[in-house]
Formats: sequence, structure tokens, C-alpha cells
Amino acid sequence: MKRRTAGARAREVALTVLPAATFLAALLAAWEVWVRVREVRSYLLPPPSDVFRALADNPGRFASAAQGSLTAAVGGLLIASAIAFGLAVIMAHSRTLERALYPPALLVKVTPIVAVYPLLAIWFGFGIGPKVAIAALVTFFPMLVNAVVGLRSIDPQALDVLRVLNASRWQIFWRLRLPSSLPYVFAALRISVPLSLVGAVVAEFLSGSSGMGQLILIANGDFDTSGLFGAVFVLAALGVTLTLGVSYVEGRVLTWHESSGR
Amino acid sequence: MPPSETDAAIEVRGLSHRYEAEDGPLQALSGVDLRIADGEFVSLVGPSGCGKTTLLRAVGGLLAPETGEVRVHGLTPAAAQQARHFGLVSQDPGLLPWRNVEANVRLPLEVTGARADVGALLARVGIEGFARYMPRQLSGGMRQRVALARALAHGPRVLLMDEPFGALDEFSREAMRLELLRLWEAERSTVLFVTHSIREAVLLSDRVVVMGPRPGRVLAEIEVGLPRPRFEAQEETPEFGVLVARIRALLREAA
Repeated sequence: MKRRTAGARAREVALTVLPAATFLAALLAAWEVWVRVREVRSYLLPPPSDVFRALADNPGRFASAAQGSLTAAVGGLLIASAIAFGLAVIMAHSRTLERALYPPALLVKVTPIVAVYPLLAIWFGFGIGPKVAIAALVTFFPMLVNAVVGLRSIDPQALDVLRVLNASRWQIFWRLRLPSSLPYVFAALRISVPLSLVGAVVAEFLSGSSGMGQLILIANGDFDTSGLFGAVFVLAALGVTLTLGVSYVEGRVLTWHESSGR
Repeated sequence: MPPSETDAAIEVRGLSHRYEAEDGPLQALSGVDLRIADGEFVSLVGPSGCGKTTLLRAVGGLLAPETGEVRVHGLTPAAAQQARHFGLVSQDPGLLPWRNVEANVRLPLEVTGARADVGALLARVGIEGFARYMPRQLSGGMRQRVALARALAHGPRVLLMDEPFGALDEFSREAMRLELLRLWEAERSTVLFVTHSIREAVLLSDRVVVMGPRPGRVLAEIEVGLPRPRFEAQEETPEFGVLVARIRALLREAA
């Protein structure tokens, strides 16, 4: 097995990150210069320096809003993923149950989530409850579909080997189905992470409960364009961080999979 | 155990099976009878669609035939599975990619609760020193050796091999044949071996069951009778050539 030195690893990371970081920095610089040279009015487009100042002036406000949205997004994501995976296990074992459960699941997916919000508010109040519920509803379906496919994507030859050994369903599940499904589960998580943030922010728009969505509403009301951009930056950073987190765990868990080690 | 023992390891009576294909039913097997003695090495040869894999799967309890009976050491295939009588090697090794070689070979031990020295198993198939390798780091021939070690791990009485060397290059196939011969001649478990290769079947087997297609059936059973232990050079003997020619003629007649 190949083992790379720490220096070589750091070099590799630098080579991966540097091009994107350089481009992003150049983009911000161009933005700054353009706004200043053309004297664009700041309520239309503030220079990035103003945006960062808005963030630096009020870090606590952004941090607590970010925390509110993040908790709802991650909470909803985890709850939905757990329920969806459990359902997927049932559906992967029985075509009849799959036929029974798939249409209602599809119904959840195709129903515009905004239309459901008032009901969720009635049931879960105005706190974090409906936010978690919305984040859960938008992330439920990707996990369900991917997990069913993953749990079915088993090597038929490996299954035959287990069957001639009279392996129980339980043994086949733990030793073959579950590990086979993991690449699909991680693919679902990578789809779901940004969706969960959308869900949380939409819920905050609708309810005005505290979080990044509320922050955006307030900044919008104040014509505080720098604050709006600040909120966008923070949300982008949250999305990137969560996605990198999923990728990191995936890299640790799926060392054997051909998608790893690229 | 000597192969001369009369009690049958595998008995197949009146086996027929149809698959529902898109253009109507396909008669995979029609009225197949077969008796394999304990410790006998029997090959099934024939063109694609002659039902040899179907027959092997019916013996292993992986497929429930429409009609007919299968007994393995007097048990139904399901009961024989419960008695842990079977080891299986397929054309595709079917290794678990998240387990290293050692853990793959340990799989049958975990499932059955049997005990065995995994290191010794790896040595028997010539892959000691690769215990910590992951399957994707191995060549096709090496993976098939792991699959063979896994099939042997729990000490099965019947080894089912479905074109085990079919996907290998010529050199690996040659090496694996000799490896299997050496292993089998030391242990003499019962082997049911499916192959496309007439020469492979003659080199390895005590008996070659020649099968024909549409419907899948047994055309003839040829006793090989070449002295054991077998070795590569026997392929050059006239007796070997005669056997191969006979089988080829049978297959041509049926085609």
C-alpha cells in the first residue's frame, strides 16, 4: 500500500486548493476595483470590503443566525436520513412494500414544500420545529431513492456464496447489503446537504424565526445590501463546510471504493 | 476418501427447468439424471445454453427446479446448505471489496461458526503474504485464488465451481488448473466443475458429462481414466487427444 509523506500530502492539498482560491481572490479583487472605479452605488452592489466589514462589525449576530440555521438543517438532514434509510431497508427486501411505499414517498417529493409550511407551523409551532421538518422533508427523498438502489446493488456472486452457506437475512444485510449501500448513501448526503440549508432558510423566510433567513429579511428591509451579501457569504461557507465534512467522512469510510483516492 | 466408494455425494433425478424469456419459455434442462460419487471430480462441458450452470445452481440450492429431485449426501439442497456442505467458486470472484484478503477468506467462518487457520488456507492456494491486500490490489488470478480459499475455508464436502477460470488470461488459467489439481488430489472432496474448455475438463476430471443445448440435456458421460496425479504433459499424450476428440465429436453431432 502506498504511503505518502506529510510533505507530499501538503503539496497535493495545496495543488488542489490553490487554483480555486486564487481564482476566487482574483474575482473579489476585480469586483472591488470595478465597484470603486465605476462608483457603483453601494445599495446596488457594495464592494467586498464593505461586505467583510459588515461581517466583522457584527460577528455575533451572524454566528448565532448561522448556528440557528445550521442546527435546523443538520437536524432535519439526520432525522430524514435515518428514517429514509430505515424505510429503504424495508423496501429493498420486499417489492410489494416498495410498491406500497414508493408513491407516498414520491408525493412528499413533488408537493411544493412552501405549500406545506403553514401546516407544519400549526403542528410544530414557530420555533425550530417547522424548520427541522422542512429540512427533513426536502432531504428525505434523495436518501430514500439512493439507499434503495444501494441496498440492491449487491454483487450477485457474493450473494450466491453467502446463500450456499445458508447465511441468514441478517448476516447478508450486515456483511453484504449495508456496506454495498454506503457509496450510494454518501452520494445522497452530498445531494442533501445543500438542500437541507435551502429548507432551513426557506422556513425562516416564511416564519421569521431566528436564523440566516431572518437575517436576510431584516437586511432586506433595511436596504442593507452589505448585510445581504454577508448572509450569502456565510450560507455559502456553511454549504462548503458541510459538503467537505461529508467528503471527509466518506474518504475515511470508503477507502475501498473506486471513487476514493482520486 | 477414495473415489471408489459407492455412496453418492450428488444425485440428480429427472431434473427439468424452464426460464421465462421474453420470446417465450426457454427449456434450460430436460430430464437430467446424474450421479456423482463421494470424492469424484466431475466436469460439465457444453456450449452456452446447454444448462450446465442451471444444473450446478440446482445442485447448490440456488435455483428451485420445476421438476426433478436433487440429493446431496442424502439431503435436499436446502438441508445441505444448512449442513454447510457447499463451497462455491464462480467465474467472477465475488470478493467483498471492503475486506482484505484475510477477512474475505474468514467470511464463511463468520457465517457458519466453523473454525479454520486462515493463514494455512492462504498458503494452500499460494497467496500467503497477501493477507492484508485489498481485492482491488490483486490480479484476476490472485482474486480467484482468494475465492478458492474462501470456498474451502469451512471444510465443505462438495465444491461447486462455475467456470472458475473462465475470465482469466491463458497463463493464469494454466497455473490455476495445476493448483486446483494439486489441492484436489490431496483432499479428494467432491467437485462439480462447469467449463467451456474440453481440454480443461479432461485434464482435471474423473468423468466428463457432455451436455447439449435446446433443450439442455446430458449427451454422454465419458470416463477419463488417465492416471493420477495428473500433470500438464499428459495433455500431449495420445490418450488425452482421443478423449478430447471424442467429446468434440459428441458436441458437433448435437449442434
